[in-house]
Amino acid sequence: MKKIKNFEDVVCPFCGTLCDDLKIILEDNKIIEVDNACAIGTAKFFSSNVSEHRYTKPMMRNNGKLEEVTWDEALNKAAELLANAKRPLSYGWSSTECDAQRKAVELMEICGGVLDNTASVCHGPSLLAIQDVGCPTSTLGEYKNRADLVLFWGSNPVHAHPRHMSRYSDFIRGYFRVDGHLDRTIIVVDPRTTHTAQMADMHIRLNPGEDYELFNAIRALCRGVELDVKEVAGVPIKQIKELVEILKSCKFGVLFFGLGLTMTKGKHRNVDAGISLIRELNEHTKFNLTPMRGHYNVSGANIVFTWSTGYPYSIDFSKDYPRYNPGEFSAVDILKTNDFDVTLIVASDPASNFPKDAVINMLKKPLISVEPHKTPTSEMADIVLPPAIAGIECEGTAYRMDKVPIRMRKVKNAPEDCMADYEIIEKLIEKVKELKGE
Amino acid sequence: MGKIELTLKKEPTFSLEAESISPDNFKGKTQKDIANLIIFHGNEKLTLKDFFDIKGTAGNNLDEIEIVINGNLSKVKRIGEKMSGGAITINGDVGMHVGNTMNGGKIIVNGNAADWAGAMMEGGELEITGNAGHYVGAAYRGNWEGMTNGVIKVKGSVGYESMIWARGSTPKKRFPKLICGSAGQFLGLHNHGGIIICEGNAEARVAADQARGFVVVKGKIGRMMPSFKKIGEVSEIELPDGEKISGKFVEYSGDHATSAKTKGRLFVAK
Ligand code: SF4
Repeated sequence: MKKIKNFEDVVCPFCGTLCDDLKIILEDNKIIEVDNACAIGTAKFFSSNVSEHRYTKPMMRNNGKLEEVTWDEALNKAAELLANAKRPLSYGWSSTECDAQRKAVELMEICGGVLDNTASVCHGPSLLAIQDVGCPTSTLGEYKNRADLVLFWGSNPVHAHPRHMSRYSDFIRGYFRVDGHLDRTIIVVDPRTTHTAQMADMHIRLNPGEDYELFNAIRALCRGVELDVKEVAGVPIKQIKELVEILKSCKFGVLFFGLGLTMTKGKHRNVDAGISLIRELNEHTKFNLTPMRGHYNVSGANIVFTWSTGYPYSIDFSKDYPRYNPGEFSAVDILKTNDFDVTLIVASDPASNFPKDAVINMLKKPLISVEPHKTPTSEMADIVLPPAIAGIECEGTAYRMDKVPIRMRKVKNAPEDCMADYEIIEKLIEKVKELKGE
Repeated sequence: MGKIELTLKKEPTFSLEAESISPDNFKGKTQKDIANLIIFHGNEKLTLKDFFDIKGTAGNNLDEIEIVINGNLSKVKRIGEKMSGGAITINGDVGMHVGNTMNGGKIIVNGNAADWAGAMMEGGELEITGNAGHYVGAAYRGNWEGMTNGVIKVKGSVGYESMIWARGSTPKKRFPKLICGSAGQFLGLHNHGGIIICEGNAEARVAADQARGFVVVKGKIGRMMPSFKKIGEVSEIELPDGEKISGKFVEYSGDHATSAKTKGRLFVAK
């Protein structure tokens, strides 16, 4: 007899929206139905079913080929590499839960290594800007109930956070926004006519890479300064003035920004200018901002690293105390300058998205990958340690993009004897301590 | 006179944290003591003599100490950190953070310098004959006060976000100053009284968010900030530290994004 199990209010461990209303149906430890999730969230749940894409046993490279080994063999070898390393680098950590992230800090501290998370290639610049100029923000629930003006700048939630608009920012009815979509004005600032832009009430189509100029023009116009120029970033002054009026006259505005700001020319300075604009708009009305965080728990990685070291990412422990400097201790820069001897990649796939020279350097030295699925990174690794998938096969806490912590559930068992990420790291810590005689 | 010469004898595999190389740290030490100063190579705690041949001694008078360093030092970081007097001459390219937070003395780099050269400098002089990386004389992450005094001269180019958050004060006679050959974007961002002279071209976003201070560009600006307003034309600029620059310049006020009545000035060659 087949055993069917139903789960309700399951949290989706995929994007920073962290939807918590999913329904999952299981047949003998196999997920057969996912309800309420968007297409990418659904795909993540199905990906946990055992298939040729999933590792179920630890692997080690032997004569150029990955071969199955026992957990002890794999963990001992990994611990040995880390304990003997003079400059180990650990990167990833955003697609796992907070306990694993906490253990990451401990491991890298005892190894005297460099610890970085994926924020360094996505919203790290937002954090730099926030450290420079602060950040007026609130929770997604607050936006849902109050915001009558929603500004998406350099972000395309229709594809990157598919349920964001229906749960929080556009179609949903809120306490003061009883007519949902009809009660909100949506403005999109994007060089491309994205699907989000097509749904907006106003689309500001600026030249690529000129966001900073547009922000500062808006800020000056908000202050009542007449500008010498007729257009900024390809947008006519008349349209910018119209936008300024809308921004100033809303009741409660929110700016959601994405990688279109943080990863284009100017990076953290684009966000710096964006935050400054929001700060100034608060002299006229109520306005907040929230970064559209990608990985479901990248926000958590920043929070956990910050409460344990003082810094959100790009942390160096070589001198026994934490130091912070993106651009110096960020994974891409460490790899590009060959300033490392071993890498430990957890819950991330830098081989598919890092610059080519960084990847080439990474592959030349020992690489340990903690990863449930076959990825370009894990397939090139020397040691693969397959974990249970957090939020599906083990519990854990994750932080939503607005920094609200949400407890994720376990709905199925992990294949074979796969352990949770934090258990794997805990074992590594024990073994490294033993090798270092601590 | 205390002249001491360090020559790199072994290329470091990882970056070398060499804040121990400064006249302040060498002062009054024997050659043996200096050779045993701590230097971090990755997470290994080593000593200067593991990487350098050392000749001469430093002596007791800080201002007379001259340290000469030879070799490819591009992986050697933090030379001259927090130094308050004496001189360092670096013959070769140098790594990040050279002369950061120094408040006196002079460093000459006969070569290129990596990022953060002279970051948060409080006094003294830093001269680079080649190019410098990003964040020359800049504020470290999250700081609202960057360079507060001293002079940085870079013959070649400076990278992005150089001299950001500089904070000068005419009553306190603090004139942080950067002179460079050319500059990447965000030169003098968030300027609060710093003086910047760019002999050639500057890329874009020059003096963005400047509250007060003077930025002079003798070449062209790739893209002007829209929030700057033209005031007029001048044939001589007088800087707060007394230096005068003659030539035809267009004078702009800005950045008006940060304040409607900004005291910031930007001069661009006509
Ligand atoms: S929007 Fe994000 S969190 Fe929600 S179901 Fe889709 S992927 Fe999952």
